[in-house]
Parts: sequence; C-alpha cells; structure tokens
Amino acid sequence: MKLSRREFMTLAGGSTAGAVIFTACGVPADELLVEAPLDLPEDLVNGIDSWFATTDDSGLGVIVRVMEGRAKKIAGNPDYPINLGKQAAHTDTALQALYHPDRVEGPMLRRAKGQPLTPISWDDANGLLEQWMSDAEGNLAIVTNPVRGADAKIARDVASAYAGRLVFFDPLEQGVLHSAIKTVFDQNRVPEFDIAGAHTVLSFGADWLGTWLSPVRYGTKYGDFRGGDHRGFMMHAESRMSLTAAAADRWLTVNPGYEGDLAISIASVIVKDQLVPENNISAYTANIPEGELEKWAPESVADRVGVSAELIKEAAHKFAEDGPSIAFGGGSAGAQTNGAFNLTAIYALNILAGTIGKKGGVQFNPAGAQGLPDSATGASFETWENELSHWRAGNVKTVITRGVDLVHGLPRSVDVGGALDKVDNVVAFTGVLDESSEHANLILPENSYLEDWGLDVPEPAPGYEVVGLRQPVVNAPLDGETRARLYDSRNFLDTLLLAAGSRVSVGSVKEFVEDTVADLYAAGRGSVTAGDSRLFMNGVLQRGGWWDVGASAATGTPSSIPSPLANAAGPGMSELDDRVEGHVFTIVPFAHQSLLDGRNASTPWAQATPDPITTVAWATWAEINFDKAEEMGISEGQWIKVRTTAGEITVQAYPHPGISPNLIAIPVGQGHKEGIGGRYAEDRGENVLNILVDKKESETGALAWAATRAVVTKAGGSKELPKFEGDARAIIRPAEHGVPILIVEPGQSAHDAQEHNHELHLRFISNDE
Amino acid sequence: MVTAAERVSSHKWGMAVDVDRCTGCQACVMACQTENNIPLSTEDIYRQKRTFAWIRIERYWYGDFPNVKARFIPIMCQHCENAPCEPVCPVFATYHNTEGMNVQIYNRCVGTRYCGAGCPYNVRFFNYWEPVWPSTLRNQLNPDVTIRSRGIMEKCSFCVQRIRRGVREAAQEDRDLVDGEIQTACTDACPTNALVFGDFNDDNSRVSIMSHDDRKYTHLDSLNTEPNVVYLAQIDATGGAIGEHE
Repeated sequence: MKLSRREFMTLAGGSTAGAVIFTACGVPADELLVEAPLDLPEDLVNGIDSWFATTDDSGLGVIVRVMEGRAKKIAGNPDYPINLGKQAAHTDTALQALYHPDRVEGPMLRRAKGQPLTPISWDDANGLLEQWMSDAEGNLAIVTNPVRGADAKIARDVASAYAGRLVFFDPLEQGVLHSAIKTVFDQNRVPEFDIAGAHTVLSFGADWLGTWLSPVRYGTKYGDFRGGDHRGFMMHAESRMSLTAAAADRWLTVNPGYEGDLAISIASVIVKDQLVPENNISAYTANIPEGELEKWAPESVADRVGVSAELIKEAAHKFAEDGPSIAFGGGSAGAQTNGAFNLTAIYALNILAGTIGKKGGVQFNPAGAQGLPDSATGASFETWENELSHWRAGNVKTVITRGVDLVHGLPRSVDVGGALDKVDNVVAFTGVLDESSEHANLILPENSYLEDWGLDVPEPAPGYEVVGLRQPVVNAPLDGETRARLYDSRNFLDTLLLAAGSRVSVGSVKEFVEDTVADLYAAGRGSVTAGDSRLFMNGVLQRGGWWDVGASAATGTPSSIPSPLANAAGPGMSELDDRVEGHVFTIVPFAHQSLLDGRNASTPWAQATPDPITTVAWATWAEINFDKAEEMGISEGQWIKVRTTAGEITVQAYPHPGISPNLIAIPVGQGHKEGIGGRYAEDRGENVLNILVDKKESETGALAWAATRAVVTKAGGSKELPKFEGDARAIIRPAEHGVPILIVEPGQSAHDAQEHNHELHLRFISNDE
Repeated sequence: MVTAAERVSSHKWGMAVDVDRCTGCQACVMACQTENNIPLSTEDIYRQKRTFAWIRIERYWYGDFPNVKARFIPIMCQHCENAPCEPVCPVFATYHNTEGMNVQIYNRCVGTRYCGAGCPYNVRFFNYWEPVWPSTLRNQLNPDVTIRSRGIMEKCSFCVQRIRRGVREAAQEDRDLVDGEIQTACTDACPTNALVFGDFNDDNSRVSIMSHDDRKYTHLDSLNTEPNVVYLAQIDATGGAIGEHE
C-alpha cells in the first residue's frame, strides 16, 4: 500500500483504520486502539499528562501521573503531611499490580471443595454473596488487612448488620506495640516520634528506616536529623543488621528477647547517676520498689543482654545528656514471649528523657477526624486460634477475606486451610490468586487502590488531624481486540454494600467519602478553604486529603507510670526438634524491603529490587554470621535446612558479618506454590512464616514470631544466588580507604580525610612490596 | 529578552549525594526504573551479572561482628566533564552537551560497548536482549522515554525528559527556573533528601551550596574525570572513621 503523508495522517486519525495502518507497519494494534481519539477518556488531551492526588494502601499520600487514562508513574504527594512528597521502594509497584498480567479477570465460582474455579457473571456473584451473607446472620466473619478510615468504618458496619465480626490480620502483627503505648502513655494511637527534632535517638528492634510502620515518614525525619544544624546521634539495638542498624552511629547487638533488660539497664544508670532532673526520675520510679532497679545494673545484665557494660553506660549517658532524646521500639523486640515487657521498658525511657510533648520527643496524636477509625492492628494470634477453632467447628457459615493471605501468613501448625475447608462459604476478594484462594468458593476480583474511592486516617499521624483521600485515577485497561475491560474488578466495600442493601445506611464508598468531606467543610477549619462544599471537595481531591495542623492532642509527661519492671521476664524460646542434630539458631523473620510481608510478591519490580543488605533479589535467603558459617563449613549459595518443631524449609545461605552468631535471619514474602501468586511469585523461595512455632506473647496473646529456634544443617549442593553485588574475592589489594565511601570524623573535612587515607595507603603499599 | 536557547545553555546540571543521609532504602532505584522504562532484571539476568540499574545502591561492610557497619552509597552516571566514555565512541553516540550532561543517542549507538569498557564507574548498561514486557504491563511505560532496543547502550540521563519539560515550561512562561523545580525521579523519591539535583551554574542552588561543603568529594577523583555528581562524606561519630571494607 502506498500512501501520501496526508492520506496517512487522515487514516491514522480514524481509530480502527489507524490501527490497521500501524499494524501493517509493525506497531502493536492495542497500543493505537487504546490511544485512538474516538474512545478516549474525557479528560484526555493528547500528549499532556494529568497528575491526580490519592492515598496509597500503605498510608502514603501519592500523586499519579496519568496519560490517556493509564497510570504511568507514582510519586509522593508533596502536600501530604505524612511523606512530604517522598516515596518507598514499593510505591511504584502498585502500577504493576494494576496492570498485572495475572490479575483475576472476573468472578469465579468453585461449585464444590476441590473442584476447579469457573467464571461467573458479576450478577450471579452478587446474588451468591447476598445469599451467603444472609445465611450467615450471626456467624459471618469479614477478614481484612488492618484498615482505618472509611474502609474500617464501612466494613465494621457491614459486619455489625449481620451480627458478624470484622477481624484484622497482619502476619507481623503490632498488637504488642499498641498495648505498650497504652500502658506507658495511656494512648490508643501510635504517637508521632519527633526524630528530626531529637539530638539522640535510641531505638530497639524496629526497622523504622526499612519496613516498620511508616519508614518513608521516618526517613524524611531521619534526613533532617542528620542534616540539620545539629547532627543527631543514633543508637539502635537489634540482633541483625537491618537498614536502621546500618544507619545507626552505634549498633547495640542485643540478644533477642532482652531488649527490655537493656532498656531498664540504661534507665538504671540514668537513675543511679542522676543524669536527668529529679522530676523525671520520680515519675519513672514511682511504682518501682526500692532497690529493684539496681538488679539491672550494666554489669549484672551485660552477659545475658549481649551488650557490654561499657556500651550500656555510654548509651545511658548519651541518651540522658545529649537531649532532646527519644526512645522507641517494636518489631522483633515485641515479637517475643516477653514482648510487652520489652516494649513497656523501652517506651518508659521517654519518661526519663522528659521529652514527652516537647521538641525531639513523643507527640500524641488526636483521635481521627469525624470519628473515623484511626488505628488498626492485626488481631492477636490467640484471637486467631479462637477464630479458627470456630471455623473448624462449623460455627461460621461465611468467611469473607480481602487483602490477606491467611494460609501463607499464619504458622502451619494452626492449619488455616483445614479451617477454611470447614466453612460453608468462603469468599475471597483478591487481585492475584493466593494460597488462601485455593480454599475459597467464590473469588471476586478486587480493584487496585488506583481505581477506588476511600478515606484513610494515617497511622502514625504527624501529631495533628489528617484525613487522606483516595480517588479513582485511571480508566480500566481495555483489551486491544475485544474492547472489553481486561479486569472486571469492583470495589470490595461497594460489593459488600450492594449485598447488604438496606441493612447498612451507607450507599457506596464514594457517597460516604462525599458525606464525610461535606462534614469537614461544615467544620470550617483545616487545610482547604472554599466558598461552597463542591469547591471544597475539589480542593480536597486536588490536595489528596485534608488536615488541620491546629488540631493536635494535649501531650504531657505523666506524673507516674506503672512499673516497667512489673512483668519482667526473660524470653521463652521454642523447643527444638530433637530428632535431628545440627547447630541451633534463633530465627529472625523480617519483612522484605520491597515485598514487605509478601503483599507485593506478585509484582516483578518488587521481586527484582535487590535487598539492601544482601543485594539478593528473586529469592529467599538465610542470613548467617560469617564466622559461624565458616565454622559450619557453609558458604554463600549453599542449601541449608532450617528445621523447627513446626516444619522445615530449605534455603540458600548468605553469610555476612552483620548478624549475631546464634541467629539466622530469613525474609518474609516468598514461598508461593506453583500456580499461586502470579507468574513472578509462583514456585519461588520459601515461606518462613509457616515454620514458626506458635509461641505467644504472655500478656497480649500475640504471636511471638521472633521466638522460634531451629536446627540448621547442610542440605547438600549449592547454587549461585541471584544478587546484585559483585565478588570481591578477586581483588588482590584493597582499594584506598575512602573509595568509594569517604568517611570523616565530625568536623573533619573531606580533603583532610583523603590526605590521611592516601598516606595510609602509600604506607600499606610500600610495606606490601 | 533571553531566548529559550540561551536559557538552556546557561545550565550545568548536576547532583549532590549526601552519603551521611543515605539509608540504602532503594526508593531511588525503583523510582528510576519506573520513570525510565528500565528493562526488568530477571533472576537469570541477576545470575549473569547483567543487571540493569541506572542508579544502584552499593553496600560495603566495614569491620567484623559486633563492631561492624554496613554503609551504602548510591552510584549513577557521574556525567563527567572529562568522560572516558565519550572519546572512545566511534559513532559519537555518547557526547557531552552544553549543560554538563553526558548524553547517549540511542539510535546512533551501534553497540561496540567501548564506552562501557571505558567507564570506571560501571554505570553503562548494554541491552543484550530486546526488552520485553507482558502486554498489560506496557500500559505503565513512560511515553516520554524511548525503550532501548537490543544491541545498544543505555545509562542514567539525569531524567533529561524532565529537564526538557521544565526548561520548556519556564521558557514558555518567560521566567527563570526556580531551584528544585526540576527533579529527577531518584531525587524526587529519596525520603531523606540524600540526593539533590540542580544547576551548578546557579550559585544559590542547593547542589552548588552542597558542592562547597567541607565534606564534598568526588568519586574516584584521582582519575580526573571531573564528575558532575558530587558526594558529601559520611560522618562517623563514634571515632572509627577509618575501617577496612571487604
């Protein structure tokens, strides 16, 4: 076919004809069909992008670049108080979750347990859901990831309408943290930690620069902490080298479960040497029996804690004398049988610091605006054991899950799959099929957050009221040939509301959002001002939310706190499988930097992002101390068996120097079976959560997920790990100091450090030769 | 009146990296991958050591347990003024432009890989394969950035598409650019503001100010490549400033 340029442009402008022309030229048809001007979103201007503000599912404010109805980039929302325009490594993975090639395309029904899934229409699916929810009056369970704001409010309303219950699930639950905060501060929400304003930060267990709570928020604070007028000093107590431990000026290699003892020992030095004002000491010691604190003198606890007496004293003096200081913790420090004791002791240090409600200290957060649920944490493991026993006994007729993979996330010992199989109707809202979906009768494709309405009350909040707004920012992608939606997904809550009908007063999530925003407008305060409610709504949409910096909570140092020593106890580690012989380790499971707890495992970007410490991608590895590995004859890439009384996994070893010799650290997130989790996650790695022993935190009943011991043996064979870093063994002579990372002492210039390094290097070379 | 062309040539783009703030979180790496349509590094590619990362985080160990530290440094194309990669290109596919940037012309590249061999920073990447995305994932590709085909070199462009847009918009509005107005994807993402992008010709820009910091150094400065990426040294407040790395 021979065309003039003018004829070509005329044809190309006509949608289908244009596609044909370009197909002939080798350009894929679907690209042009989607871009064809006859069928474009109404907000399209060719070649011009639009940025929409919304809130992601990790509580960050984001802006999404949209061209021709398709999302191209996600970035932090510069206005949003939580992340101030910044983002996490996993933020962009939502694009791949949205356009995932293995996304569930439409509703599917399993007519009997063990039968394959067959596609059904949304009308039929809605009918079944309505029927199954009605049948489950009084015995309905709705299970979601911990959600706040509109999601929590509506899900709870729906559950209540059927006299059912809403249960949250979080594989690495934070219930112990909330309990400790309640004990020490009498607060129901996680407070704001003013890291930026502090001169000294003392943290325990929580990888707050990596994956704990809101690492992007804490990262922005950390940048200011390092780069302000006064470079802060940071100490971090954790048994493995996390990102936070790596960032610390002083890494305290505490033994797992002894974080509380370390915190109290630090306090004992501060009290004994009277390093802080008397008022702070009296508030801290008000309920501690006379002489009791002395039992935690550094010399007495150093051996069991794993930190030398000198370092404990140094930490105490630094914390007390270079204020404002702040102490906080969580993560593995709370995931012990004595987790509540550990965290209570840690947070009580803030009483000694006297910085509660002050710059550089702990700031309390006000309750959520308009009564929106403002805090969420996964139900305790004990609660889950009870819940599953109800399922197993046939007391629960219908279970609806969303955003959780119970089979993947709970220890194998509780047999979630078996419990799900005893429930008549299991409905799973999901994007990509997961392990739990295998036990579901009805699979319903759920929207990505980029396609949904919603309101979030972020936690942790910045010390004042914030409501994040979520809005649909993309059009559903279309199939290039059939023009049908590639994924016929729906909003989880809208689907429940449709099934609930008049039982729930809320009509839709969008309606709830609009009503709540109208209430905010009526309140006449906050970050958006407008002449009428419609303009106000536009303002909230444009800014990605609403906040009121004046709406803070009253914060003050309590005159006394319960004794941090009241429930002092050592950690109770799991028993060992005595049928096998090998080296004994304590397992430290940790959230993966981009896969997190596994929720992003289906996306190739998250899989391909190298772990910061090991640089490994696409795999599960086991971090083991370099010297210990050498002693055991284990080298990098060798397969090792990690056996607990609950089961066994086989993973590749990654020896490095940043972990205690008695620990083995394994990332969470992989281990999906063949055909599960999408093409990028299936049949990949191992799931360490499944082999955890069901030890519980003694006060809260939470899963002590860092209290499992294992026997480690060589499994035979090895394979090169897929990792980013090179192999330094080929280097005969070390590079000059300062290459590539130049390190200076405080006040030293780069030039002086380089001169010094060069001199050392010349000396080294001459000696060598 | 200053013309748009004059405004363009008046810039010298560069980056400052405060290593003391970097936590190694990989947010920059992921943001760059998305913005620049970087081919996916599969498991096999990792094993072959042909991973694509226009910006990467290098991790170095210092010391032994328990007195050990993991330190991170982001490495990207240093956009050298005396770039070893430029003179070796037989087809002038890589050259230095008037704005301080080392630029790669993809459709001129014939894939000799001389530039990759010449670069001391290992920041150039060769497309051994045609990049492939499943059809649905192509929805997300950035239309501003060419997808590089098999057989050519690619590297950090300082998000030139963002620079062009920012300069163009400022010119259209007949105003000067404001420092911070143009952000690369990595600097935009960095939670701790360890990465800062800007114009070295603007004395008041953050990168200019940082480039005069006492802690400023350049990567492999003995090679005299005169990078347009400067680093601020990491501070060790515990007195162990000098340590071995493995």
